Amino acid sequence: MSTAVITGTSRGLGRALAERLLAEGWSVHGFSRSAGELTHPRFTAHAVDISDEGAVRTAVDQICDPIDLLVNNAGAASLNALLLTPGSVAASLMRVNYLGAFHCLQSVGKVMVRQRRGVVINITTVAVPLSLEGEAAYVASKAALDALTKVAAAELAHQGVRVIGLGFGPLSTDLTRAVPALKLAELEARLGRPQGTSLSQAVDFIMHHLPAASSASGSIAYLARL
Amino acid sequence: MLTRPQALALVLRRLALLGRELGKPLLEQANEETRLFGEAAALDSIGLVTLMADLEEDVRSACGVSVHLADEKAMSRLTSPFRRVGLLADHLIDVVEKSTPPA
Repeated sequence: MSTAVITGTSRGLGRALAERLLAEGWSVHGFSRSAGELTHPRFTAHAVDISDEGAVRTAVDQICDPIDLLVNNAGAASLNALLLTPGSVAASLMRVNYLGAFHCLQSVGKVMVRQRRGVVINITTVAVPLSLEGEAAYVASKAALDALTKVAAAELAHQGVRVIGLGFGPLSTDLTRAVPALKLAELEARLGRPQGTSLSQAVDFIMHHLPAASSASGSIAYLARL
Repeated sequence: MLTRPQALALVLRRLALLGRELGKPLLEQANEETRLFGEAAALDSIGLVTLMADLEEDVRSACGVSVHLADEKAMSRLTSPFRRVGLLADHLIDVVEKSTPPA
């Protein structure tokens, strides 16, 4: 039986991925600030603010099983013109999207180094390579995560730990609720996904990249035409 | 609580295991003065990171406390606690003492 740690499992992609892994026999530890409604005999919910380094370390210490997979999925977004984005929003996005993933990667990474194996998936976005207007703070925080993916892959490769990034366009989650429908449609057409991307398709994409043969450590793959 | 001989034994045992894994037999003959990193050191940076990760688990098994060896205080010291085996053993004692809840 394999064990995964997923951040942001109270809803959206994190929850959908947790449900898929549970259905396939995995044990899943979910890190979320709020409890969520997911219940399963092999699901353990941890109330964790991932921007709190000590809280992440404590939560990881509570996991007794070997950890095969970490998915840094928890994220926050904000649509705003650069000159109108408060610094506090930029700081908040960086705390969740980059620093939270950094804390989880560091704590779970140590476990994986001890095991000499493990897979880390950082969930990123097409907004980085597209440099999408109106998302400066969000894009910058995810670009930092992409850089972390590449450096972590280089540092951990010798200990059998693979680190990859998987990026999506807009998914139907709380993160995209505030995006105007016309803008969403334009972006989806540009990405070659006029019907959008469902959570199920995003989960399929993640599952496809779990085996080592599917993507090299340090690579970032997108479910979109870029 | 961790005594000096216990701390030293933890470091030397882990170095020996790492030596076997990395194909560096000299690590199995390490002593207090063995340099862990820097010029003419026993480990490269990746080896040092692996040693730290393994030792944190060894300390948890031996003492029942969760420690973080590379904390800000350790990283900002003028003399790095990771420079030599003996200094690392001293550092283990220090972090365990600070992590152990008072009786």
